[in-house]
Amino acid sequence: MSARPTRRRAILGACGLALGGAAAFRALAEGRGLVARERAGLAFGTTVSLVAAGPDPEVLEAALSEGFAAMRSIEAAASLFRPDSALSRLNREGVLADPPEHLRVLVAHALALAGRTGGAFDPTVQPLWPVWSQAAARKERPGSEALAAALVRIGWRRVVCTAEAIRLEPGTELTLNALIQGYAADVVMAALRARGVADAFVDTGEFGAAGTHPDGAPWRLGIADPRGEGEIAAVIAPFTGFAATSGDYHMAFSPDFADHHIYDPATGRSPGGLASVTVTAPSGLVADGLSTACMVLGRERGAALVAGEPGCAVRFSEKA
Amino acid sequence: MRGSGVLRPGWAALLLVLVAFLHPAAAGELSRKDIEKNFPPPLVVGEKDDRLPVWPILKQQAGSYEVFAYAFESLDFAPIPGFGGTPPDLLIALAPDGTFRDVKVLSHKEPVFLEGLGSEPLFAFVEQYVGLSARQPIRVGRPNARAGGAPPQTTVDGIAMATASTRTINQSVLASALAVARGKLGFGAANVGLNVQAKPDLYDRLSLAALVERGWVRRLAVTRAEATQAFRGTGVEEAGEGAPGDVLTDLVVALLDVPSIGRNLLGEARFAALMRELGPGNHAVMVLSAGPADAPENPIGDSFVMGAVPDRITVSQGGLVVNARDMAVERRGAGLGEGLPPGDWTILRIDSAAGFDPSAPWTLTEKIVRERGQILSEKIAREFSVETRLPADLFTKVAVEGEPDWTESWRARWPTLLGLGLMLAVLVPVLVRQKGLVADARRFPAFRLAFLAVTLGFVGYAAQAQLSIVTLMGLVRAALRTHDFAFLLYDPPSLVLWAFVLASLVAWGRGTFCGWLCPFGAMQELAAFAMKPLKIRQVAVPPRLDRALRLVKYAVLAGILGATAAASPLADAFAEAEPFKTAITLSFLRTWPFVAYAVGLIVLNLFVYKGFCRYLCPLGAALALVGRVRILDWIPRRAECGTPCQLCKVRCRYGAIRPDGRIDYPECFQCMDCVTIIHDPGQCVPQVVAKRHAKRIVPRPLAVSR
Repeated sequence: MSARPTRRRAILGACGLALGGAAAFRALAEGRGLVARERAGLAFGTTVSLVAAGPDPEVLEAALSEGFAAMRSIEAAASLFRPDSALSRLNREGVLADPPEHLRVLVAHALALAGRTGGAFDPTVQPLWPVWSQAAARKERPGSEALAAALVRIGWRRVVCTAEAIRLEPGTELTLNALIQGYAADVVMAALRARGVADAFVDTGEFGAAGTHPDGAPWRLGIADPRGEGEIAAVIAPFTGFAATSGDYHMAFSPDFADHHIYDPATGRSPGGLASVTVTAPSGLVADGLSTACMVLGRERGAALVAGEPGCAVRFSEKA
Repeated sequence: MRGSGVLRPGWAALLLVLVAFLHPAAAGELSRKDIEKNFPPPLVVGEKDDRLPVWPILKQQAGSYEVFAYAFESLDFAPIPGFGGTPPDLLIALAPDGTFRDVKVLSHKEPVFLEGLGSEPLFAFVEQYVGLSARQPIRVGRPNARAGGAPPQTTVDGIAMATASTRTINQSVLASALAVARGKLGFGAANVGLNVQAKPDLYDRLSLAALVERGWVRRLAVTRAEATQAFRGTGVEEAGEGAPGDVLTDLVVALLDVPSIGRNLLGEARFAALMRELGPGNHAVMVLSAGPADAPENPIGDSFVMGAVPDRITVSQGGLVVNARDMAVERRGAGLGEGLPPGDWTILRIDSAAGFDPSAPWTLTEKIVRERGQILSEKIAREFSVETRLPADLFTKVAVEGEPDWTESWRARWPTLLGLGLMLAVLVPVLVRQKGLVADARRFPAFRLAFLAVTLGFVGYAAQAQLSIVTLMGLVRAALRTHDFAFLLYDPPSLVLWAFVLASLVAWGRGTFCGWLCPFGAMQELAAFAMKPLKIRQVAVPPRLDRALRLVKYAVLAGILGATAAASPLADAFAEAEPFKTAITLSFLRTWPFVAYAVGLIVLNLFVYKGFCRYLCPLGAALALVGRVRILDWIPRRAECGTPCQLCKVRCRYGAIRPDGRIDYPECFQCMDCVTIIHDPGQCVPQVVAKRHAKRIVPRPLAVSR
């Protein structure tokens, strides 16, 4: 119980905001007739924040409220942190008629990516989570018997998703945690754009940026050093579009980061090799899925996968 | 924000207050702006949770956010009615680890603070919670309890004269914090107030090996290879020299207060001694270091401080560290009992207030610290733990989960309740046996004055059990709106007195309370007695005016209860017609208009005897109304009373005897003056006359019309 998995943030957010100090930023922004509004909160089991810039503060506030409403509706559809979400219901009952739109999009994307990666990305690894987290609470690693028992319940072909219903074979459980934050970045960005907000930076756990910083400077995205807490390993600047990072440090079961929350569906254990992967893409959903798939595939096969996706780029960070 | 600038803050606040009055049981009303005022930058108020009325308060940390606290209003989670029936509202900020970051009073209607002590003591009271943990039950102690040695992690200092109100506040803080903790932090109320103790009679003779086999005694061994693995990448993988399989530390971990563990490990005599020292409800964890004693990894080696909370071994449960302190049991040689390996050892005491549940899994964690660098050395620590799971049937759960707080106030006030019981046990026989003490014209007045002095001093000031119209207002509020009558339970002496008064109302009428048990009434009577030497002449109230004035108290009662029923803010102001709060609860420590009013009534009493009681008192009016169900016509009368004799009527200082000789029970204070007269052959005119005629007349009760 004391061995709670350590949680750390993947990316250190909009460094652009920190440059020049708040006063300088305000002066610059006002010079361009723009104001910025920021709203932070909790979603998907982590902290999230939205920054929107534009001429009219009331429009910005309304847009931010809609951004949060969008995240709430995604949580209601697909969050495993909520026992009453549609996904939690599906896992309990094995079938869900009339799945909400968000859930359908996520499951369809997950299954398609699973097909493209030959099952290296697999949304049905959820049965491994309790095995690992309970073992970690006892400061142990799960035995091969426990892993084998979970592995027989895993396989993306055990899921059928149509517009009418999602069905799981008995014992199958889905997790969309590898996609939900990236997808949320897409949906929130679309909600802001629908309100006419052209300059925005969203942190839903994964990141999206549009336009520029209100002072006219490009958005910058700092990528955390997977081993140095609070340190920045690289900066993506200018940053527009979406970025997602998967890392072994985000929720690690062992102090050496060998065991963490990303599993190889073939073995039930965490893949070795990479410490973190950051993928930039035109969509948060795509970026999020690819980053997780790359962790499992490793550097070479991961690079090949991303190369086949239009507008995507990948950065790898090896385990020490 | 949208719509900003339309409402000026003052008006908004006023509107808020009005809304609060119109919907007294409504949810918390704080807006984002109000919350931001309480948590100014650099803190950031996050988006309100969509399921629980909780605001995450965030802190920016290297470009992303961390949760600093969860802020919420107690009213949303635990609307516990206060002294007057209205629940207080507190703004509480709870850190993710369950520590109170902030507690502020948003609104309250506790009479003792409003206009009484002022709100400052209340504000200071709630500040005591900052830094305490919601994971432990917190008690309200006496004033200065913490300075007096009460455990500072589980006690807040109480406020004199505000016991009931501070208990309500405490309950609001704890109950709402636990509701939020359960919803947001993932720990529940299970451990709070829970007392799990080992069954003292359950004992099996078991060897150390058998105990280890069962998992009741655990061993935590760390080899050099394991330490190297844990320190990998830190530059201090290797420390000292030896084979990878060498054991660096080997701890034996055992919960000693389970007899089958402790008695087997310590032996009978030492176990008994330990249990005596430990005290019921507390727990003891033994850690014995069986590894190499001189190894730097040994957590109980030379650097171990006896009697302290050890820095390298911790007990935790549910992810939180439990306070465990070395008991400084004198170490007699190595090892504690037969079969235990030799080595340094400690026995850690876990206080019952720590919320430790020995029937649930708990963890002992050992920290191995290594230093990197020669000159500016840096400490690097790695932790190793072992979990103990003991079978639940070794234990009894002493206190039920979520035991309501009111039981505590009953237990704590038993001496007061005993005193009240004694008073009533004296009073009832005296009133029943009217030919006894009552008939004794010399001793009875002295008894009465003495009793009233006790009523004033003990019931009024010591027990703080002055019954008040405020309780009736609380009943009205509870009946119409909150449907929660639990507030009555938090003030045991008053409740006991209320029960007696209701019973006496049915049997004898209003006067038992008004004439004997009302502290303010006693104060008036004692004042009149003290001023007797001044020979103040009573103002004669003309009978018609007297009858009209008697009705005023019913109007006051109707006004107060009507305003309460209508949820009007005037209700509390109307209740000030009653001077009890000023004179008794606050012992005249109040702003001057209130003091002037209360003193004025006592002065009035010198000229118009008990004028307040007879003409104004809303509580008296309520009791008089209920007293109309009275069963017994128990004040004895004679056929001659009224016609022709008017002695008692004239002597009755309350005007409660009608010209026809009948008792006006709703106005009777049961002072017993007329009963004394009627039993005194020297005073009772018909008896004096009869004596002259050498006839005996037996007094008998006469029916009165209602």
